[in-house]
Amino acid sequence: MTVYPVLTVATFLPLVGAVFVLLFGCERRARWIALATAFMTLAASAPLYLNFNKASSALQFVETREWIPSWNISYGMGVDGISVLFIFLASILIVLCIGASWIAVRTREREFYAALLVAETAMIGLFAASNLFLFFIFWELIVVPLFLIIGGWGGERRVYASVKFLIFTLAGSVLMLVGMMVLYSLCGTLDFKALALARETLSSHHQAWLFAAFLGAFAVKVPMFPLHTWLPDAHTEAPTAGSVILAGILLKMGAYGFLRVSLPIFPQGVQFFLEPMLAISAVAIVYGAYVTLVQKDIKRLIAYSSVSHMGFVTLGIFTLDQRGVEGGILQMLNHGIVTSALFLCIGMIYERTHTREIKDYGGVGKLARIYATFLALFCLAAAGFPGLNSFVGEFLIVGSAFKVQTWLGAMAIWGVALGTVYLAWLYYRVVMGATHSGLEKLALELNAREVATLLPLAILAVSLGVYPEFVLSYLRVPVADILAGVVR
Amino acid sequence: MNDMSRIVVSDLALIIPELILISAALALILLTPRIRRGPAAAVGTVFAALAAVLASFWILPSETQTGFAGMIIQDGYSRFFKVLIAAALALTALLSINSSEGAENEAPNGEYHALLLLASTGMMLAVSTVDLLTLYLGLELMTVCSYILVGIHVQRRTSNEAAVKYFLVASFASALLLYGISLTYGFAGGTGFVIVASALSEYGSDRNPLLLATLLLVLGGLAFKIAAVPFHSWAPDAYQGASAPVAAFLAAGSKAAGLGALGRITLVAYGPTVEVLSVLLAGLAALSIVVGSITLLAQTDMKRLLAYSSIAHAGFAVLGLIAGTPEGTSTTMTYAFFYVFMTLGAFGVVVALGERGATLDGYRGLAAQRPLAAALMLLFLLSLTGFPPTAGFVAKFVVILSAVQAGYTVLAVLAVAFSVVSAFVYMRVVVYMFMREPQEPAPSRWPATVSVALAVTALVTLIGGIVPASLMSWTVSP
Repeated sequence: MTVYPVLTVATFLPLVGAVFVLLFGCERRARWIALATAFMTLAASAPLYLNFNKASSALQFVETREWIPSWNISYGMGVDGISVLFIFLASILIVLCIGASWIAVRTREREFYAALLVAETAMIGLFAASNLFLFFIFWELIVVPLFLIIGGWGGERRVYASVKFLIFTLAGSVLMLVGMMVLYSLCGTLDFKALALARETLSSHHQAWLFAAFLGAFAVKVPMFPLHTWLPDAHTEAPTAGSVILAGILLKMGAYGFLRVSLPIFPQGVQFFLEPMLAISAVAIVYGAYVTLVQKDIKRLIAYSSVSHMGFVTLGIFTLDQRGVEGGILQMLNHGIVTSALFLCIGMIYERTHTREIKDYGGVGKLARIYATFLALFCLAAAGFPGLNSFVGEFLIVGSAFKVQTWLGAMAIWGVALGTVYLAWLYYRVVMGATHSGLEKLALELNAREVATLLPLAILAVSLGVYPEFVLSYLRVPVADILAGVVR
Repeated sequence: MNDMSRIVVSDLALIIPELILISAALALILLTPRIRRGPAAAVGTVFAALAAVLASFWILPSETQTGFAGMIIQDGYSRFFKVLIAAALALTALLSINSSEGAENEAPNGEYHALLLLASTGMMLAVSTVDLLTLYLGLELMTVCSYILVGIHVQRRTSNEAAVKYFLVASFASALLLYGISLTYGFAGGTGFVIVASALSEYGSDRNPLLLATLLLVLGGLAFKIAAVPFHSWAPDAYQGASAPVAAFLAAGSKAAGLGALGRITLVAYGPTVEVLSVLLAGLAALSIVVGSITLLAQTDMKRLLAYSSIAHAGFAVLGLIAGTPEGTSTTMTYAFFYVFMTLGAFGVVVALGERGATLDGYRGLAAQRPLAAALMLLFLLSLTGFPPTAGFVAKFVVILSAVQAGYTVLAVLAVAFSVVSAFVYMRVVVYMFMREPQEPAPSRWPATVSVALAVTALVTLIGGIVPASLMSWTVSP
């Protein structure tokens, strides 16, 4: 179909770029090499979207090479309708991250951009992997560059935040490692498709334990209540690019893990844990929203809102309903777009004011009209305003939640309402009202580079709100495929 | 005695690598007055080690063969460990050239390298024997040379103190091993591995207190060599007192030799007692991992930190032996191989940084001053932690998988849980290097030989993690 192995190239091109950045990135050249690499990766992955067959449930763009033959582990890549969307999101967010760091990062640029590109390799590789071993390698690989980005270029409490992030994610993923080994010794393979076929041989006892082991890894990354405490620190202290990767991709990895591993391979384990999963999702939505309400730091506010929004995602996935799961995945994408955009907006104004305290803002709308417009758009989108992207996802999830149990739907609606409150209130305090005295002397308006950074996400937010079918059409077949094995 | 008289010249072919090292050692001792200064002794050692590697590959017979009245065996297993030990020797010699301590506390150059060579000879004998007494002799040759290597800086008090401590504890451990061997002789009527194994399978492995005592004594003696808990207390003191290259040699070489010996006797000699042995080894592994990782938390001296790390790693390596199968033993071989390179790499950075490398504080802001050193240290620390795609991940993966397949899932969970604890420590070094401001002037440049050692270890650590299959064909268990 294509002349080159698309997935391998898209995955490892950033790694090559990282090497180039380290070798030749002296002075101010690193960012240019990084930007060129990110664009090349985007271009190299274009065939994925152009030649994708939405009607097929099989993995596409499959590549297999012998890797460790004595363990029956191969180097396997392949995408379905779910993963292709996230590869797109990852490769576009990296371009925007570089745009956002263009001026903000001025120390040790080489290391910074190299770390960013290694993170891109890990992100794309994770979604492209067609076996659990490769999946795990990329899963762990992303932790290192993010640890360095948060700890090396972050805010005041960056070291604390980065170590906390590292220890939380590691503690989760080592359980997955043991789960993976048990799975391997039971089934003799780690290929996703082969494992899904071999699930009949796993007893329900094994499935429950394996689900629990993988839950440890996934729940930390999502993050699910009560394992979310690393998130506010990491998001708040990270530099803008770090926050964008965390919110945009890292949080999706956990939910993607549920879709790729837990649901297809341990359906009985899912049944066993279904009620608690639904319950903690609902709690996360409401609890997250209330905690968000009282935040005084803008970045921390958006970070906590992620807990609530990711609660919607896991709620959607564990409704085990075609629409609910589709809504959950759509919501993952929406959250990746909107929350990344909000972090970019905050980063841009922070570079000018050097404060994240909400009380230091006010009346920004009079000083920066374009900025206020973008912020309004993204706040509305995050709040689930009809016509913008999150509305569709939340609508699908809430509908399915009502079908499962009325109180779940009620909790979700409650969360939506609170979301509107905290976002509108944030917007009110930052943009409207009297201009805060410290701000008048500053040039707050966005420049062309920043507009160009925000514009792609604004276009996505609007177009997915108006025509969600564009994404949903990718999801229909793979979601049906996943749910076929999970009996409700 | 009749057998002994039949030692013929062809038997000598089985110990060619050892002979090369011994001749080099003797030559160095003779030349001592002439090579007091300069890199001649180290270069000679490196070439002798390389010659030993080449000889292991090309001159040693490719099929399994025994000699010296059935005391020495040449098989894929001994070849593997001989190559590994020779590589550790070569890298240590490279690190020893102009190591920062050299200037003031000049170690006697010729003797130092001769001792390295002799210790390596002992290691090689220990991994290529099928007789308990030869095993003991090989290990003792290694240990006696190590005492002197630790204490070779006669002017330095810490070095003397470490050597004395090491000597006292090690003699005790040697006595344990020897007592275990004599008990074995008591019921087996011989010290050859095959004789022991057949006697044991006749004996049955039901709860026999004498047998249990024997196993405890032999395992204890060998656990000392690999610094596994509860026989680990010598390691931190000895490493700290010794110069960094010697500490590296102890961490890499004697651990590899100890694991090689342990792997062969648990599988071949004491194989029939696998039920008891598995439990004992599991206990040894669990204790080493838990105690090593927890005590790691308190370390601020780099050599001590790496010493406790080596204790935890000994526990991980033993995980592969629990299964008591050839497959399990070959996972331990994989672990030993990668561990040798990553730990030599980490010590290599410590050597390269000189004074600043000795303490954790010295790593402050290293990434801003010496980005390459910081990047290499990051690689080795990630590998020691077990992050993919480094060799350390593959190593941990295979041994833990082997424990899971042997039914020790709880032990596997314990092992990975404590690898998170140790990750905290390794990443603290990364925090110092990458996230703190430098406070001391940048370290001076290190010699090119150290760069060579760092390049080799870094390549193995990286390539081993990406294409582990290339090593698999070598890890032939006995």
